Amino acid sequence: MKTIIEPFRIKSVEPIYFNTPEERTIILKDAHYNSFLIHSNDVLIDLLTDSGTSAMSSHQWAGMMQGDESYAGSPSFFRFEKAVQDITGMPIVIPTHQGRAAEKILFSILGGKGKYFVSNTLFDTTRANIEFSGAEGVDLLCEEGKYPSIPAPFKGNLDTVALIKFIEEKGAEHIPLCIITVTNNSGGGQPVSMQNIKEVRTICTKYGIPLFIDACRFAENSYFIKLREEGYADKAVSEIAHELFSYADGCTMSAKKDAFANIGGFLALHNEELAVKCRNLLVITEGFPTYGGLAGRDLEAIAIGLSEVMEESYLQYRIRSIEYLTNKLIDAGVPVMQPAGGHAVYLDAKEFMSHIPVDQYPGQVLVGALYIEGGIRSVEIGSLMFGKYDEGGQLIPAALELVRLAIPRRVYTQSHIDYVAEVIIEVYQNRHKYSGLKITEEAPLLRHFTAKLEPIMN
Amino acid sequence: MKQHVKTSWAEPYKIKMVELLKMTTPAQRKKALSEAGYNTFLLKSEDVYIDLLTDSGTSAMSDQQWAAMMTGDEAYAGSRNFYHLEEVVKKVYGYKYLIPTHQGRGAENILSKVLIKKGDIIPGNMYFTTTRLHQELAGGKFEDIIIDEAHDPENEFEFKGNVDLNKLEKLIHKYGAKRIPYVSIATSVNMAGGQPISMKNLKDLRALTRKHGIRIIHDMTRVAENAYFIQQREKGYANKKVKDIVKEICSLTDGATMSAKKDALVNIGGFLAVNEWDVFEEARNLVVVYEGLHTYGGLAGRDMEAMAIGIGESVDDDHIRARVGQVIYLGEKMMDYGIPIVKPIGGHGIFVDAKKFLPHIPQPSFPAQTLAAEIYQDSGVRTMERGIVSAGRKANGDNYNPKLELVRFTIPRRVYTQAHMDVIAESAGRVYERREKIKGLKMVYEPTYLRFFQARFEKLV
Repeated sequence: MKTIIEPFRIKSVEPIYFNTPEERTIILKDAHYNSFLIHSNDVLIDLLTDSGTSAMSSHQWAGMMQGDESYAGSPSFFRFEKAVQDITGMPIVIPTHQGRAAEKILFSILGGKGKYFVSNTLFDTTRANIEFSGAEGVDLLCEEGKYPSIPAPFKGNLDTVALIKFIEEKGAEHIPLCIITVTNNSGGGQPVSMQNIKEVRTICTKYGIPLFIDACRFAENSYFIKLREEGYADKAVSEIAHELFSYADGCTMSAKKDAFANIGGFLALHNEELAVKCRNLLVITEGFPTYGGLAGRDLEAIAIGLSEVMEESYLQYRIRSIEYLTNKLIDAGVPVMQPAGGHAVYLDAKEFMSHIPVDQYPGQVLVGALYIEGGIRSVEIGSLMFGKYDEGGQLIPAALELVRLAIPRRVYTQSHIDYVAEVIIEVYQNRHKYSGLKITEEAPLLRHFTAKLEPIMN
Repeated sequence: MKQHVKTSWAEPYKIKMVELLKMTTPAQRKKALSEAGYNTFLLKSEDVYIDLLTDSGTSAMSDQQWAAMMTGDEAYAGSRNFYHLEEVVKKVYGYKYLIPTHQGRGAENILSKVLIKKGDIIPGNMYFTTTRLHQELAGGKFEDIIIDEAHDPENEFEFKGNVDLNKLEKLIHKYGAKRIPYVSIATSVNMAGGQPISMKNLKDLRALTRKHGIRIIHDMTRVAENAYFIQQREKGYANKKVKDIVKEICSLTDGATMSAKKDALVNIGGFLAVNEWDVFEEARNLVVVYEGLHTYGGLAGRDMEAMAIGIGESVDDDHIRARVGQVIYLGEKMMDYGIPIVKPIGGHGIFVDAKKFLPHIPQPSFPAQTLAAEIYQDSGVRTMERGIVSAGRKANGDNYNPKLELVRFTIPRRVYTQAHMDVIAESAGRVYERREKIKGLKMVYEPTYLRFFQARFEKLV
């Protein structure tokens, strides 16, 4: 592979504080073996999330200085509104302080007991918001998406056969919304094909179910379509994104991902009646409709970020740097999700830590090992995040036990990535020295954020 | 009445960066106003010359805050900015446990959901729009226990934010202390015209609530302004520093919701702070659903850092003297024109008595909404209605018909100069001269919640 040249240079830096494996062993213990509870100063390479962790461009920082902080009717809002309208083709744009707030508003209106939200895969906060409303979230991921080691071009696709079956079984009137997450985060950052979105649109139209896009990583998904789907090689990413959104009735977006913003999100849609209800809730928990709980400067940063992300030279760098790390790991025999996704490398913890049973959270064990050996912070996407208990208190494990190494946008260099690969390979070679974990404390919703764990002594 | 401040309130800062303003013509303003449905909230800020809509989130940050913005640590979990903010809140306000939120209403939402059960009563020193709404949505009912003087714009009592303890005792007697999860106390009561509560009253309230085991939750968005009035007016506090008074106020309460967009000089941010571990734990579980992980609460790291610096600056004696000095300067100028305003002058703005300004317009024709539109038409100064439109409707659909029908001229912190204040007073004076020719409005669109934000009006002919 040729060297990936970043289409930018560094304008401002942030120091990294070094510590030793011995110090990190104590820090991890004090954080109850939960990477969310580690102070960021104690982390060398922070791959916990790509959300809100991007390096903004000098243009975005300049936009920050131009932010108009008027409570109502700020020009920063109108620039933001236009940027979102241009990309999505959706006329109504409602800003929120972040993506989950947009979801919260939408699901409070459409959700409730006895309702089902169907999706390729719902992300953790999305699912929590749905369940909080009393409704149920249903994942209908295509078959190839369920096997980490088997490569396929569009492992984020929604299983359309299962979708029809589910609608027929439950009745369309109980399904207020179908949501396609692009790219599919929980399923490994895998893209959804345009063909699949079209098919889902046809089914939704037939049954009268609105289709929404969870658009956090729409640009990365659009770029994968350009690379992998027939007929799109010569189209601009902006055109592809426009087509993708054209099949949807609305979208929610956390601007903390593909808009390079450190905070912010939005809801965009066509339906004015639904929008009025959304705005009524917005003023209660978020803010006035022309700021939605964001500073004017953040609206500016999002507007600029949305156009920067569709630069092909950027997307090429972005996708190839993830591929670079993935391929390095594959070459060393480390079990990873294949092919490389758009924003993260996903280690297959079930296979990586095959000596640890799922009810001892092999993913979380791996997260701890990477931290102690290299100061790398990652996150478990497996039974700690998505596991439930049956009536007898037995763990119902998640389908996959993954560890996500999410790569913040424009933050780390190739030498950081080389270091990450070295650490993972070293942990893999010594994997048998690690043992399982048990939960000692947990919250009823989104337990992975605050859960406390401890090692199981053999 | 002249208030006891030095005539010179020169600012303890100089200007480091400016934002250019656009001037508009009367014809442009007429068009903008009609497009905005005579609701100043719906005006584009580009069409506004001096924006007095709110002091919330509109402050000019200091060079120190802007520098802090560059030290934002945007880690999703465990950002060092969070720990700094936590330390500052503990040091300046004294509350034990901190949950950041993207703004004040985020904290109100979570607090109401944690503490209020269906059928509960929440007494408070006058309602505030979002606060009362969150209490109602959580199943509670707000009861006003502010002293009667607060409802009289001309009464010059120095602490019109005080609680009438008899009213509270009656409520306790009627409903029982168990149905009162907390008393909601605002410092610098916004809807009363930015009126302070005295330390003596707060101490008496603390004694009474302690006897019955009822919490006091502090709506502390303008606590520094309240503390300044205590320093100026209350016996025994003249030689104390504002920061010490602030800490004493907080020490008499059990927890607080904060919109840091006011006194704390930031453009975005807020928090919930409590002293009880159980309440904290439950709130921390809810914050991830509504706001964000508990170490960022829906805020960028840089915004937590700017807040930490802003909190320190907000309790500085020189800062707060200039802040309130500017407001009083404007108020006295308006009084010189004979304009009826709420007295004494409050901490964050001038509240014009629209009922007295436009006595020929009855409350159902929205005198305050009308006056706000007229001021904008005259000079491009944007103000806000705080009367019947803001008060909204009761559960049975009737209007609340508040006693106070006010137009709020809210002064953003550190943004406008003395010359701007002169322009504002002159404009209000011109409208006052032609007041008899002004006609009222009718409402043509009314949203369900917080109607004042998005309601639309037409001119009566």
